[in-house]
Amino acid sequence: MAAGTVIGPGTVIRGNLRGNGGIEILGKIEGDVNVEGDVVLGQSSAVKGRVSGVHVTLAGAVQGDVQGSEAVLVERGARVVGDLIAPRIGIAGGALVRGQVRTEGEAGLPPARIGLQGRIHASVVQPRISHTEARPAAARPPVEAAASAASNPAQSAAEKTQRPAERQAPPPVVPVLGKGARARKKNKTRG
Amino acid sequence: MARHNPDRHSPDMSVLGPATRVTGRVSGKGALSIEGVIRGNVSVTGPAFIAPGATVEGDIEAESLDVGGTLTGDVTASGPIAVRAGAVVRGELKGAEVSIEPGSRVAVRLDTAFELDLSFPPTR
Amino acid sequence: MAGTLIGDGVTVEGEVMAEEEVVVQGTLRGRLSSTDAVSVGGSGVVEADVTGTTLSIAGQVTGDVNASERVDLQAGGRLIGDVRAARLTIADGASFKGNVDMEV
Repeated sequence: MAAGTVIGPGTVIRGNLRGNGGIEILGKIEGDVNVEGDVVLGQSSAVKGRVSGVHVTLAGAVQGDVQGSEAVLVERGARVVGDLIAPRIGIAGGALVRGQVRTEGEAGLPPARIGLQGRIHASVVQPRISHTEARPAAARPPVEAAASAASNPAQSAAEKTQRPAERQAPPPVVPVLGKGARARKKNKTRG
Repeated sequence: MARHNPDRHSPDMSVLGPATRVTGRVSGKGALSIEGVIRGNVSVTGPAFIAPGATVEGDIEAESLDVGGTLTGDVTASGPIAVRAGAVVRGELKGAEVSIEPGSRVAVRLDTAFELDLSFPPTR
Repeated sequence: MAGTLIGDGVTVEGEVMAEEEVVVQGTLRGRLSSTDAVSVGGSGVVEADVTGTTLSIAGQVTGDVNASERVDLQAGGRLIGDVRAARLTIADGASFKGNVDMEV
């Protein structure tokens, strides 16, 4: 029987990790983790890269997208900057997540709005344009249009998610800082 | 996660019952329990609840939000936002903290402000 | 057990730096350095230079190994690479190709 993999709290890996079987990460990984098994990221863990597994439980820090073929569970105290996708997603109160969270089967959010996302790298390089003036009117979700088009309001949300038009490539948008990103940036330069 | 049941009989609580449909803006002071259908934006000073079976298509501003039903719109809350199992939520969620129960269907953006400073030791 | 265990079926490609014991039962390509003991199990395949205090090899290692205390190449173990260690044992049934530097 394959022994379960543990990346101990005193271990740093710069590179990718893949394979079968469960894995528990207590240390740091700068690279992608891609296993066909359950992944547990302990409180002391830090991963800068994509994480994918079957059942992914996060209590540490992740900068990167997290995908679970069954579930992604984010525990209290976890910090994630990246998108979460899985058939089942849980985020406990007290967890910090910045990114898109999508259960499988739901269409992605309108792509034009992705520019607003407060990604770490984006908030560093993007120009200083105020949130309000740069937020394009076209980027607002077509709530009214969808509402009037849907004859049965109880099903309208489900219908909206199926509409292929929402998956089309976005018009070019002016990138802006996410709300609070300037404050974060300010703090960073000051600290 | 304990479900936060709104007290329908609280004097501070407004209730839009399951047979109520609103098209237009809903705003006011105190708490709001939505059990019917709202197409329009909601703004209340207290906590807001979207009951299982209820639908909101519009943006919500409230002290906190607890969703058991269907919501399509952006949420701004000074307190916590909770998405319950069985809920269907689509939009951007901005709250002091956001919790999502497994068993919900979501396509949401969380724009929580926090520092994530991952430092790695230099290559030897 | 505190420490790192790279299990059978798992592959790490890159650099592993540990301040704890490391056991490799899977595959590691790149570089491995630990301030503690390193062991490569029978199913372990390491294509990397390895640094540790003691290094026990029951699997396959291709790369130069550097141990501050000792290197034990066990029966069935296979090492292709140079060894730098104060002590070295090579068990009957092990295979080894490389140079040895036991300079203290």
